[in-house]
Amino acid sequence: MTPRLPESPTQRISRENELLFFYRGKPFKGLEGDTIATALYSNGVRIFSRSMKYHRPRGLYNLDGYSSHCLVTVDGEPNVRGCATPLRQGMWVTPQNVLGSPRWDLMGLMQFFSFAMPVGFYYKAFHKPSWVWPFAQAVIRRAAGLGRIDPEMPEGVYQNRYYNCEVCIIGGGLAGMEAALAAAEGGVRVILLERRDHLGGDLAYRVTRSNEGIPPYRRAAMLAEAVSACENVTVLLCTSATAIYQSNHVTAVKRGGAGDPYRETYLEVRARSVVVATGAIERPLLFSNNDLPGIMQGSCAHRLARVYGIKPGNRMVVSGCHDGMLEMAADLAELGIEIVAVADGRSSGFDTELISNLHRKGIPFLPGTMARKAIGFKRLKGVQLAPTFGNGRKRWYSCDVLAASAGEAPLSQLLQVAGAKMAYDSAAGQFLPGEFPPGIHAAGKVTAARGEETIAAQGKLAGLMALQDLGLGRTSHIRQVREILDVIEKRPAGRHWTAPPVGSRKCFLCFDEDVTTDQVRDAIDQGFDQSELVKRYTAVGTGPSQSYLSGTNLPLLLADQRGLEPGAVLPTTVRPPVFPTSLAALGGRRYTSSKRTPLHEKQAQLGACFRLTGVWERAGSFADAGLSQEVENVRKNVGFIDVSTLGKFRLFGRDAVKLLNRVYAGNMETVTEGRLKYAAMCNEQGVIIDDGVVTRMGESDYFFTTSSLRAGNTLEWLAFHSKEEDWEAHLVNLTDAMAAVNLAGPRSREVLARLVDADCSNEVFPYMAVRRMKLCGEVDALVMRVGFVGELSFEIHVPASYGAALQDALLDAGKPYCIRPFGLDAQSVLRLEKGHVIIGTDTDNHSTLHDIGLSWAWDRKKAGNQTVGAPALRFTETQKHRQKLVGFTMNEAFRTPSDGSIVVADGTVKGRVTSSRFSPTLGRSIGLALVDPDLAVMGGTLEFYTDGRLNRKGLPEIKTFRGTIVPVPFYDPEGKRLRG
Amino acid sequence: MSFLLTCPNCGPRNIYEFRFGGEVKTRPDENTVSAEDWADYVYLSKNVCGVQKEWWYHAKGCGTWFAVERDTRDNLPVVKEENEG
Amino acid sequence: MMKKFMDRFRKKGRQDVRMWHEHPMKPAYDAVIVGGGLHGLAAAYYLGRDHGMTDVAVIERRYIGYGGSGRNTSIVRSNQRSKENIPLYDEGLKLWPELIGELDFNLMFFNCGNLNLAHSEAEAAGLKMTVATAQIMGVRSEFLNARECKELVPHLDITHRPRYPIYGGMYHPPGGTVRHDAVVWALARGADRLGIHIHQLTEVEDILVEKGKVTGVKTDKGTIRTPLVLNAAGGYSPTVSTMVGIDLPVTVLPLQALVSEPLKPFLHHVVSSGRYHAYASQSLKGEIVTGAHMDPWPSYTTHVTAHYMKHQAEALMDLMPCLRGARFMRIWGGLTDMTPDMAPIVSDSPIGGFYLDCGWGYFGFKSAPITGRYMARWIATGNCPEILKPFSLRRYRNYNLQRETAAVMYYTPWN
Repeated sequence: MTPRLPESPTQRISRENELLFFYRGKPFKGLEGDTIATALYSNGVRIFSRSMKYHRPRGLYNLDGYSSHCLVTVDGEPNVRGCATPLRQGMWVTPQNVLGSPRWDLMGLMQFFSFAMPVGFYYKAFHKPSWVWPFAQAVIRRAAGLGRIDPEMPEGVYQNRYYNCEVCIIGGGLAGMEAALAAAEGGVRVILLERRDHLGGDLAYRVTRSNEGIPPYRRAAMLAEAVSACENVTVLLCTSATAIYQSNHVTAVKRGGAGDPYRETYLEVRARSVVVATGAIERPLLFSNNDLPGIMQGSCAHRLARVYGIKPGNRMVVSGCHDGMLEMAADLAELGIEIVAVADGRSSGFDTELISNLHRKGIPFLPGTMARKAIGFKRLKGVQLAPTFGNGRKRWYSCDVLAASAGEAPLSQLLQVAGAKMAYDSAAGQFLPGEFPPGIHAAGKVTAARGEETIAAQGKLAGLMALQDLGLGRTSHIRQVREILDVIEKRPAGRHWTAPPVGSRKCFLCFDEDVTTDQVRDAIDQGFDQSELVKRYTAVGTGPSQSYLSGTNLPLLLADQRGLEPGAVLPTTVRPPVFPTSLAALGGRRYTSSKRTPLHEKQAQLGACFRLTGVWERAGSFADAGLSQEVENVRKNVGFIDVSTLGKFRLFGRDAVKLLNRVYAGNMETVTEGRLKYAAMCNEQGVIIDDGVVTRMGESDYFFTTSSLRAGNTLEWLAFHSKEEDWEAHLVNLTDAMAAVNLAGPRSREVLARLVDADCSNEVFPYMAVRRMKLCGEVDALVMRVGFVGELSFEIHVPASYGAALQDALLDAGKPYCIRPFGLDAQSVLRLEKGHVIIGTDTDNHSTLHDIGLSWAWDRKKAGNQTVGAPALRFTETQKHRQKLVGFTMNEAFRTPSDGSIVVADGTVKGRVTSSRFSPTLGRSIGLALVDPDLAVMGGTLEFYTDGRLNRKGLPEIKTFRGTIVPVPFYDPEGKRLRG
Repeated sequence: MSFLLTCPNCGPRNIYEFRFGGEVKTRPDENTVSAEDWADYVYLSKNVCGVQKEWWYHAKGCGTWFAVERDTRDNLPVVKEENEG
Repeated sequence: MMKKFMDRFRKKGRQDVRMWHEHPMKPAYDAVIVGGGLHGLAAAYYLGRDHGMTDVAVIERRYIGYGGSGRNTSIVRSNQRSKENIPLYDEGLKLWPELIGELDFNLMFFNCGNLNLAHSEAEAAGLKMTVATAQIMGVRSEFLNARECKELVPHLDITHRPRYPIYGGMYHPPGGTVRHDAVVWALARGADRLGIHIHQLTEVEDILVEKGKVTGVKTDKGTIRTPLVLNAAGGYSPTVSTMVGIDLPVTVLPLQALVSEPLKPFLHHVVSSGRYHAYASQSLKGEIVTGAHMDPWPSYTTHVTAHYMKHQAEALMDLMPCLRGARFMRIWGGLTDMTPDMAPIVSDSPIGGFYLDCGWGYFGFKSAPITGRYMARWIATGNCPEILKPFSLRRYRNYNLQRETAAVMYYTPWN
């Protein structure tokens, strides 16, 4: 570690706390307060990375994470912005995209072939002859990318936070802090997001007094103190805003630091009003070799020295286009750095005080001059300065650091994402955002404001305007600030550089993608003459630094090359996130949620194996029994299954029956108390979407069930029709309020009889009847005689809190009858044997009631109800092309076509198997299939094909097997068991 | 964008709490409609590039259906159609 | 040798290197194609190449490839579900190598194969059905169990940790990715060299119809007389159809996609999951390109939402936990013209001379060149090619929809 500069009040390093870290496996020392990049820089590391395409060496360029130069891998996490990530004890830092080291990168040879890789190179090479491409592609692919994904990267702790506030301010510089203070006066909740770990913006490291008095860093500290003292202002440091979505929805990422248990926090802020005070960034100057290590932004050099106490170099040349560079040059000279020369692309419009400052220090100042060429191989050796316009004298200067910029550009990306339009402002020489959406304000350098007082007044104004959005503004205050703004002297900005000197080579417009100005020219020649087209063709601005560095230069260069006015070509669309966001932060803490039935724990005790079906966890099978045992027990003795997941609804009100008649195909006027009616629901295409049973509980009072997966949709569905017609019908969703069990099997009546006081005989309680009963003498139960599994069975509905007790009672009462639970797998076999369809499994989005043999569930005479889907049922009834659901048995008794098998005939697909199982009851394989109408003939043969493995030639072995279409149900066709 | 929609019960809420319920259409009379007209009613949409009247349902909220006018060019609701749930 | 190699892409003297040119708009064309996306440009190219119809104008409101053509995630495949759809996509997939040679432009066909994941027995059954259908029709696809999926894509998490554990997957070796923008430019160049006019920054304001037949197109740059109009306007195809009084069975839904920062190659296949509504592949540059589900409401905005970025992060980290270290760099939106049966409308219409090539939803990229080729044949000869017959607009009125999806559509209350 080289010695740091003497202490100064702007420094943010702690000299007492040395931190040990590892770079390329070797130990290094940095200081608390350092970023990874500054720690490396203080240790003499000058080459941080290699560029993506040509593997050119890249060094420190920016200190806010806006360039890809400093990307490193840290503790397994790739593409970490070394220049904006605080150093931590024990960090393991590795360089990226190098074969060897950044200094000695074998892939560095690439840059010598760059002449052979003009724009659009990949589109015009390697495709002829065609066999070349796979090889070329493999090579290109191997060289692609920057960081490496590490599966061993520690999991880390991440979180999501959601904030609500009235005013959200983005940027904690002078304008942002003034805005926060002004908004806080209104007594509303204010959130201030600042990407650095301290407030103050560029004021925080500047020491040069302006006319008014106190040094900028003092002013920043005082303001920061005032902001922190406001109880209604929440300051979030280390927080980079990533987007402003519609309705002032701000997203951001907070980098975890000392005292923050989270590695990163993703946050969303819902604000009524947003103030964007993100400041400006220096836009790169375009000249030959403008990417050499040693060339950096002026603010980068300035902050290295003032914040981190690091000398950027020994001999420094400055080539700028804005006053900040002049101030920096004088300030660095103060700190003992030799400033060889200061060039400024402008010929007028400077701050004269800053120039006399330079003269006092004996630093040569060259107006109307800028860097034209840099030389050096792995680091900067010298710079050629030349007049901005025309062919004047060129001078070479040897140096090891060049601070270069073509002026400032607003950090307007967030505003652009929010919907602001960019327009060229020739006075400022910048593209400036305008036409803000409602509730969005901007202040400070992002609007090209200059001078502390202007920026402060703008911030204050923005804060007041935000209050005005909330109806809290005081017009008189706003007027006062406006008057102040009007009075402040407006100095002309001077003529700005808009185009690079002609004929320069290796002049990089986009560092990420190694796009040079020559390549852009070639792209224009080929017809890619708009920003978006050039972006797509050359990939300019699509790398990790997005459009921060190339965003302004691209449209200006395009306009210049096409002979248009600057501003005739607009910048490309900015896409969020404007700060790359890690998936881990977005994901936050992992939550998974699913619903469990009231019997869940009890079922688990019986060895249930659960699976997720829709939102529910359901018992698929029980560990101690085989599938056929579960099936046989239902057929021979008695079993029970948890059906609490069924949709259960009460519907009451004057128009309840009208509503039922609207959504169900059958006639609901015929539903009576004590009786169940099977009801099918179609959509407007006549396609069946749900079924269940309906019963009447009283005057205009109904209870009905839906299939497990449709409960939510059915609720919406009924609510919609009720709303559309303005009917009086009240729907109560009892799905979660009630537990239900289906008790099935020849002995089920005996089991039920032991639990209830009522007569359960077939005469009193026949098939499709429903009774209210008291279970065990105290629990109100609704018992329905239904038969999904094809046996005598009772569906018992009890309040959810009794669900667990119900299972205990059943097990107890059923013990003498060999009761045992069964799961979804057994139910699936049982219902298939009975030929009952499962909507969505045996039907698809084409299956009308007619196609699956349920035409009887539609009452065509039911008039005046505008029954959903009725016209379609009418029109599709006699259509000839429709696939039909048929039952089949397999010709080989034990061969079951697995789910997903298809029906084929003459080598073409004619349908598919929807369910097929081996039936333990029948001793053979059975199934249902949706087949083309010409095959749907009773007694006909079906040919099945199940997908196979591909052989070495990539071909499957096509083996088919056969089944025969038979009548359904397969089991108990007369329904004796059901009704017995 | 994550725009806000104003539920007549709950006020402005995140759009992802709602379910879009289709353009407001008039159902043809079931007894007189022809097969073609019914298919048109079922399948065709106006796809207005501008303000259209449509149904929304506050699915992850109070369960209210309501009709609003929304501009499909910027997703901003125009006028609230109905107030009661 | 080296010089010859270099000359292929270097500017030589005064030789014209423009990919396409600007032309003054003529008062009449033999045919006008509305939409300078892939489908429109492909139809134009093949009209010229196969049928000698070069007096054709392609009208594009923005610049070519501005819409879905430049916003999709560049996946190509022929693993569709229904027997009516597979042949078109299969031919489309086989067309790429031919097209690359013919257009003399490297479209960067990366034949990496696609893996569609299933997360339950039922989903597996659906995929196995698709696999069986493909195999019967001679398309290479295979069902892999979870372990085999992991052998193929080692970064998959096949434990029970994810919300929806991986059950298996459909592997489709012939698929992959193609550089979408390159296809746009290459087709534009191809069409341009045949003499077809591409009018960018030109907006169609109306389509003129007389006695049930198309007679012209009114644009903001002047009116064109023409007897033939092809609607290939993608997300705006309903708006264009409305000009001749035709409503389409289409809902325009916004769809979002994202890319991560460039990473060293580790994902060598296209991985997708219907359950998670997510798919991902790694581009030649190393970015993870990933797409989400459509916002379930119609919109003509290409706005993006915080919702999908978060959703996508959760989904990808469940599938491939190692992605937690990746960063999303960019999210963008596009418009999809979704039909109720997830199959396109490639059709004539009740208006004479007005053809439709739309309803391509989010799957229009992979099929563009082949559809353009057949559409061109239809327009030039007046006879509908057999392969396009299933995609007629009439299927809706016949209650005879395509079987590209089994799931009941949910974005209107009537479904």
